[in-house]
Amino acid sequence: MKKKVLLMGASGSGKTSMRSMIFSNNPASLTSRLGATIDVEQNHVRFLGDLILNLWDCGGQDAFMDSYLSTQRSVIFSHVGVMIYVFDVESREMEKDLEYYRDCLEGLSQFSKNANVFLLVHKVDLVREAERNTVVERKVEELEKASGETPVKVFSTSIYDESLYKAWSNIVNTLIPNARNLSKHLRIFAEACNATEVILFERTTFLVIATSSHADSSDAFPSDPVALHALDPKRYERTSELIKAFKQSCSRLREEFRSLEMELAEFTAVLDEMTKNTYVLVVVHDPVIETAAIRMNICMARKKFEELQGDSLVSEK
Amino acid sequence: MSSSPQNYSAVANSHTNGTIRRTKILLLGTRRSGKTSLFQVLFNGFPLKQAFYLEPTMRVAKHLVDTVIPLEIWDCPGNITVDTLGASLADFATIVFVIDIRDLYQQPVSKLVEFIVAACQVNPDINFEVFVHKAERLQEDDKLENFRQIHERVMDRLIDESPEFEQFPLNFHLTSIYDHSLREAFSLVLHKLIESLPYLEDLLNVFCANTASPKAFLFDTSSKIHVATDTSPVDQATHNLCCDYLSMLNSFGPLYRSNAINDPRTSRDSPATTPPPTATPLSPASGSVSASPGVPLASPPKPPFFPCAATSLSPSHPGTTLTYHLVTPHLALLALLPTTVYEVRRGLVEWNVVWFREGVREIWEVEKERSAGEVV
Ligand SMILES: Nc1nc2c(ncn2[C@@H]2O[C@H](COP(=O)(O)OP(=O)(O)OP(=O)(O)O)[C@@H](O)[C@H]2O)c(=O)[nH]1
Ligand SMILES: Nc1nc2c(ncn2[C@@H]2O[C@H](COP(=O)(O)OP(=O)(O)OP(=O)(O)O)[C@@H](O)[C@H]2O)c(=O)[nH]1
Ligand SMILES: [Mg+2]
Ligand SMILES: [Mg+2]
Repeated sequence: MKKKVLLMGASGSGKTSMRSMIFSNNPASLTSRLGATIDVEQNHVRFLGDLILNLWDCGGQDAFMDSYLSTQRSVIFSHVGVMIYVFDVESREMEKDLEYYRDCLEGLSQFSKNANVFLLVHKVDLVREAERNTVVERKVEELEKASGETPVKVFSTSIYDESLYKAWSNIVNTLIPNARNLSKHLRIFAEACNATEVILFERTTFLVIATSSHADSSDAFPSDPVALHALDPKRYERTSELIKAFKQSCSRLREEFRSLEMELAEFTAVLDEMTKNTYVLVVVHDPVIETAAIRMNICMARKKFEELQGDSLVSEK
Repeated sequence: MSSSPQNYSAVANSHTNGTIRRTKILLLGTRRSGKTSLFQVLFNGFPLKQAFYLEPTMRVAKHLVDTVIPLEIWDCPGNITVDTLGASLADFATIVFVIDIRDLYQQPVSKLVEFIVAACQVNPDINFEVFVHKAERLQEDDKLENFRQIHERVMDRLIDESPEFEQFPLNFHLTSIYDHSLREAFSLVLHKLIESLPYLEDLLNVFCANTASPKAFLFDTSSKIHVATDTSPVDQATHNLCCDYLSMLNSFGPLYRSNAINDPRTSRDSPATTPPPTATPLSPASGSVSASPGVPLASPPKPPFFPCAATSLSPSHPGTTLTYHLVTPHLALLALLPTTVYEVRRGLVEWNVVWFREGVREIWEVEKERSAGEVV
């Protein structure tokens, strides 16, 4: 199954940077060497095995934008699953950015009515921390207004912290059919392990694809162990960030990261391969449970999850 | 190492718990060379971006740092001189002089030479370490060229002062807060100050021999400075990987900490409160112990808990596992092990960790007595 993802936004807003970090494991420090993208760079990334993301990284210089909106219009805006529009938080040409953005929305409504739209207020690291919240709030308001009737999801992001992973996890989640079913089975698995939480990551990007906790407000499920332990709300994206960074360190030594087990003062956890395309993190707070037992449980769950993953991808065509 | 009575009283004044003798390190260098940044990054886990906004240091800041030995580190303003320091150079075990690698002018060199000459008169045993800092700013070729030039200028100026300085043991390090070179350099500085270093190295050597480990470090967990390593050469890439591994583990801890009121884990004993049970040292020769982890020592009902972790690398054979075992509240043993040893002979590994931990604890006690004893 293929899903087309459009990456749009003004030149220099950071599209290629985030793509190279999420999908090619490049460190943030190397993004400054990227040149402007000429026309459209298409990339096929295999995500979860059978799902193929067809990324269209669209160079944002005016001449290219004009051509996307005119001569290339039907090619660009047809069959789009998701459009991600990136706005540089410090853009000096917000009026122009918004104009192009509205034109793109129009293109979408013409050729891909059901596409999901995500807006990223990017490079927020450039705003002083004290002012960040107000600046972002103002931007969000501005962008929602510019979007009119189109439902959009806005995230503030930076390549220098975990916010990028949060936004992208949310984006890919809309592309995974049956993510809810995965979540249900993770919950059963968590119970079997006596785990507080189980988190499933895609193997190459380490984006979160499903968790055992209820996605909705935790108040609705007071018996949910995660709610009980009141875990850090940023843990998913921080975990993606930490593991990605460690994978980079390993590759510098020409080693490849494979698995991790921790018995720390705060918790016990195992991070290991679940299926060919996923990694699972099992977090336990019960001090009696040892990593060996968790490993055994993961081993026994593998087959089931291979099947589930196969099913979920085939079921929706 | 020098330690005079005045020295002790100076410490007591700056710190209420003045009963221990701290080894003093002086951080010198011209304005904006990076002294405060490097201290903060090493010992206060300063985010790098914040270092960018540091104010100039106006007065000497005396920082107490507790690692394997108690340290007192003085961060000085850039314009300080021997006379305005307000202490005798005899009080310091080591002087770290920081020079911005792009600063090829006379000023830092003159200042360094001035301090060397003054220090040698009162304290011939003092260690001088030059950090050629902000090295990441230059490309590889320029970096080495500037490093060489700074080295040469300092030595030329010293010999101008007196030919006797030709043999002066001055150590130069390339450092940067943006990579682990700073930690590696500071480790080497620290090693010269740890009297029990040979014993720690012996323990690490034995651990490596018993577990077929190619490399093991004893790390200070929060600063990520290694306090000792076995005597095989340190490969920079391996050292960096260990630092990154520690960073990751340090970050993971609080991330999944339970904030529940009655978290079952909080009731469990941590090494900070319970001393480990006494272990009978394992003779290095007996490599056939394969008992299940922890069994021989666990004295019911509550065995003391020591955090540990392991990450397995390279799926291909033979494969390496990087292990982490906390041995004191602040020190951790990091070792590269063949994955086969870790998986098949886990008991052997655990047993050697227990034995290692016990050894470190004994040395630690001696060090504590030493720093407490010398003041009485
Ligand atoms: N401060 C900061 N800089 C960023 C961030 N993301 C990207 N950048 C920088 O922005 C610059 C431009 O990034 P690109 O990814 O090439 O921009 P682009 O959107 O692909 O530009 P075009 O290809 O011309 O459309 C690079 O120098 C990046 O290092 C961020 O989150 N914070
Ligand atoms: N590129 C680079 N910059 C650094 C490094 N270390 C420190 N700096 C920068 O150098 C500047 C000065 O750093 P400080 O730590 O305040 O220097 P200082 O020696 O304490 O300065 P004074 O207290 O005024 O004597 C800051 O902007 C730091 O961000 C480094 O390794 N690389
Ligand atoms: Mg680009
Ligand atoms: Mg300073």
